Amino acid sequence: MNTSEIKKMIISSLNADADTVEVSRKLEEEGISYNFSSDFGDKVRNKLFSAGIIMNREVEFVKYMNFAFYRIALTGIAAIVVLLISIFLMQGSLSFNSFLGLSDSYDESIVCLLTGN
Amino acid sequence: MINESYNLTEDDELLKASLNGDKNAFGEIVNRYQKMVARTVKGMLGDSVFAEDIGQEVFINLYYSLSEFRREAKLSTYIQKIAVNLTLNEIKRRKRFFSMFSQKANNEMHEFEIADHNTEESREASEIVNKALLAMDPRFRIIVTMRMLQGYSTKETAEILDLPIGTVLSRLSRAQEQLRNILIKL
Repeated sequence: MNTSEIKKMIISSLNADADTVEVSRKLEEEGISYNFSSDFGDKVRNKLFSAGIIMNREVEFVKYMNFAFYRIALTGIAAIVVLLISIFLMQGSLSFNSFLGLSDSYDESIVCLLTGN
Repeated sequence: MINESYNLTEDDELLKASLNGDKNAFGEIVNRYQKMVARTVKGMLGDSVFAEDIGQEVFINLYYSLSEFRREAKLSTYIQKIAVNLTLNEIKRRKRFFSMFSQKANNEMHEFEIADHNTEESREASEIVNKALLAMDPRFRIIVTMRMLQGYSTKETAEILDLPIGTVLSRLSRAQEQLRNILIKL
């Protein structure tokens, strides 16, 4: 089959009623075929295996991170609660000044403390 | 290595075995459908080294989405859909990448390697087909690839591309016109 016949066949393959199976078979006979390399299957398997290992590691890492995050968050919440209770017991209130440790101080004594006079 | 005993096994059984972690069964699926994927990917991207990477991605995506396959369609249709989506994504990615560079670089996008062919005639025929395909608009190229290289009917093409039959028919006629103009120049 010469090139002009191939061109005609290609164009006619786009007719709505064309026998497309026959066209693709004829093109393959003319050497127009597409293939991957002979070790394509092995490459896919290797990629799948190595990807699987990486994914497992990623999943494990995320699990550990979640676990560590919860432990840190719970410890933090517990520390804040203990701090609030101790402030309330020591200062008798939970006002802003009692948080800063200033509930018993007068303004003048703070000025003295800061300026040294 | 692919297990010889899987050669005559139905797709359904291969799927079940693959879902149960049988790597040989999945290997047989790869073996069975790699040529079909090659036609789609290489038809769309040219016979380049990148096409093989996309081909591998098709089967990797298939492996990780096996549990989502509801078996309403044929396995070949499902694989073909993955191949079409990944290939169109790659074309978009390349277009974005090359649009950042000069027109010269843009032209390099269409370069491809011609696979080894037995005769001068078949090499020439392949070159014509590849050049014509790569010169086409990707929307039409996919239609031509499905019809000419895969041998799908209009209905099958519409199903794979998730398009109404009317749209496929109108694209077919526009693709034919574009292809005719390209082939005159080759």
